[in-house]
Amino acid sequence: MVDNNPLLDMPGITFGYNRQPLLYDVHFQVRAGEMVGLLGPNGSGKTTLLRLISGVLRPQQGVVMLDGRDSRAWGRREVARRVAVVPQEMHVPFAFSVEELVGLGRTPYVRLLGSHTKEDQNIVRGALQAADIETLAGRIFNELSGGERQRVMVAMALAQRPALLLLDEPTSHLDIKYQIELLELVQKLNRETGVTVIAAMHDLNLAARYFPRLVLFQRGIVADATPAEVLEPHLLRRVYGINVQVGILRGAEHISILPPGNDAVAGDEQHAMQPRVHVMAGGGSGELLMRALADARIPFSAGALNIGDSDHTLALRLAQDVITEQPYSPISPAVLEEVRLRLAQVTVLILCPVPVGPGNLSLLREAVEAAQRGMITLLLAPVALTDGNASAGTLTDEDTLLRQTGIEVRDYTGGEGVKAIRALLQCGARVVNNVKEVVEVARVGLSGSCGPPP
Amino acid sequence: MKMATRTTFIQSWRERSRRLPASLVLGALAIALVVAIFLGVNFGAIAIPGSVIVRILLNSTGLFHFARQWDPTVEVIVLQSRMPVVIGAGLVGAALSVAGVLFQGMLRNPLADPYLIGTSSGAALGAAIAFVLPYDAIINGAYFSLTPMLAFFGAVLSVLFVYAIARVGGQTPVVTLLLAGVVINAVLVAIQTLILTISPHAQFTLDSLFSWLAGGVSVTTWMPDVIVGSFVVVGFALAWMLSGALDAFGLGEEGAAHLGLQVERYKLLIIVVGSLLTAAAVSISGLIGFVGLVVPHTMRLLLGPRHRLLLPASALAGAIFLILADLLARTVIAPTTLPVGVFTALVGAPFFLFLLRNNKRAYRW
Repeated sequence: MVDNNPLLDMPGITFGYNRQPLLYDVHFQVRAGEMVGLLGPNGSGKTTLLRLISGVLRPQQGVVMLDGRDSRAWGRREVARRVAVVPQEMHVPFAFSVEELVGLGRTPYVRLLGSHTKEDQNIVRGALQAADIETLAGRIFNELSGGERQRVMVAMALAQRPALLLLDEPTSHLDIKYQIELLELVQKLNRETGVTVIAAMHDLNLAARYFPRLVLFQRGIVADATPAEVLEPHLLRRVYGINVQVGILRGAEHISILPPGNDAVAGDEQHAMQPRVHVMAGGGSGELLMRALADARIPFSAGALNIGDSDHTLALRLAQDVITEQPYSPISPAVLEEVRLRLAQVTVLILCPVPVGPGNLSLLREAVEAAQRGMITLLLAPVALTDGNASAGTLTDEDTLLRQTGIEVRDYTGGEGVKAIRALLQCGARVVNNVKEVVEVARVGLSGSCGPPP
Repeated sequence: MKMATRTTFIQSWRERSRRLPASLVLGALAIALVVAIFLGVNFGAIAIPGSVIVRILLNSTGLFHFARQWDPTVEVIVLQSRMPVVIGAGLVGAALSVAGVLFQGMLRNPLADPYLIGTSSGAALGAAIAFVLPYDAIINGAYFSLTPMLAFFGAVLSVLFVYAIARVGGQTPVVTLLLAGVVINAVLVAIQTLILTISPHAQFTLDSLFSWLAGGVSVTTWMPDVIVGSFVVVGFALAWMLSGALDAFGLGEEGAAHLGLQVERYKLLIIVVGSLLTAAAVSISGLIGFVGLVVPHTMRLLLGPRHRLLLPASALAGAIFLILADLLARTVIAPTTLPVGVFTALVGAPFFLFLLRNNKRAYRW
């Protein structure tokens, strides 16, 4: 999906309403004329992404490039001439008529004291026509039905003559007839006028039916492809946390998501998905890794992680199995036992650059024991310390490796942590510089061993 | 046949938006304003015939030279006593109504009126200080006493204070603005009570403050009219330029932003214009309630919410309303003058309720 001149380009943006980022390093590109459906559970950041695109929110890091230019440089008015938003619902306290409301769509074009020109009026009439609501022109907006209102909002957005139309769960308040009517309308507009559409969608079936490109979203992009590829049971289970069946009805275009028909099938799948990679992370250190593993479809388990840790939240979504500890608590013996059992079942162990304190030192010791048994152990180097040129294979000196893991900086146990890492390195643990490499190595490690471990 | 088309026309009008044509309404209001001004000048302690008033007014323009067949004192009464009061009342009514439209449109709140975010208590505190200070008597001979000036600055300062408090991280959420307004109102009223309690001649001050708070157009010369009038003209022009933005605010702040508006900048602009209009009005009239609340609502019910029409219509209607209320206040138990606020509420409320009950469907906040 690389285009030299995309309509919308978000090359790595980060945003959070408070300190913790909700969206982390999101890369997203949309070409002119595309129709993109945005999927993801509640709170996954779909609406936030739309608000970032429309310019109502500003990313904390990165820029939103619109038509090849930073949307901040365009200015609000110029952005409003390119991007129009159809909100989930619109509450208008005043008794605007439909025609007046659609006329408001011309606001970004009207001068301070100017009134609507002949051209404005024609565009408004055209928008009413396109949304098929000419007969409603004189009616009061507040007295219309939900489906009619949604059409008025679409017409108002069209009056802005946008290149990009954003719809925020446009069908969530509508009954099925209006849902289909609205999406038919949007599809028609996309085909006839070439307007680019990005819509956050709740209904997976409707999304599959109308959007040739789907983006599965969970605080970041988990999958970005055609409906057939994105609406895959394993992916959906990880992101939405439910078991579903995907049936292909008539041709690849018509994919239908169904609740699981019988539990046996789901159970079998569960067995086949038994993870053989375990991740030890915490404090956000495992975020990129876990996402990369999920993208590569490598099933993994994670833990032990404290409730409230951002890695814990993410792991719950992405990992097959998560070992959970109480908030802000040291790892208890019972949980440690769980970790031990888990480590006996996996082939690859990945340690993220998490700060080591008295509370989680026991995890590290558990890792050392596993490594001594011959477990493939990978130490992910912290991002800041990574030297772009050096790769793990060429370095052999133990002290250099130790420095690469950055353990001295994040060891709060008075040397115990450094000792454990040193022991790991002596057992053959590899230091890996970036997430991509970890995924490669993990994949090789998995294919090397045959069949599930005993 | 003719009957049939007529009923369908009425039906379709009712079905559609139940609104009156713009030019008709503005024309009718303009005529009504002229009539109201005449009535205002006509009645009083002595009634002056309309024909005389017309001739005096036309003479005063310098273009006409009617022979003087009337008592010279009548001319003085018309030009130096009644006209300033009537024009002053009209200006106050227009200013309060326009400010009411601005605040209701921006806050999207049916209870919003010009006094909501601090103007009233700020002006009242300013007036209270003016009553307590001994200087008023000294420059009483001058055209402008201390009370209007302190009331004006009190109103403006309190709004700026409320706005500054409500502003967090480059944004001024409406809810915070309203709450800050309520809090500052309470604080300023407390300070005012404190000042009045410890003032040496409390009884006299309380009486004059009470009559000031109840509201009444206290203009004895043309000077205040000219000053307030310039505020009203400039304020109205700015408000009218903001009419497109005010329409967009009807969709909510995010909706307005989607239409390309720099929401925070416009919000500040609307607050500044609305507050200056209110402060100017309050300086010569005290706190006249109800005008800024009811006139905008009434006009919106009759004409719809487009601000391009709503603003001039509200200005005219507000002027008419207050001129008539002031007339009643001066004449009902003449020569005693009652507070204007009594009549704005007594006449305005039933009329507004009547409209509201017949228009339930058009009003959903």
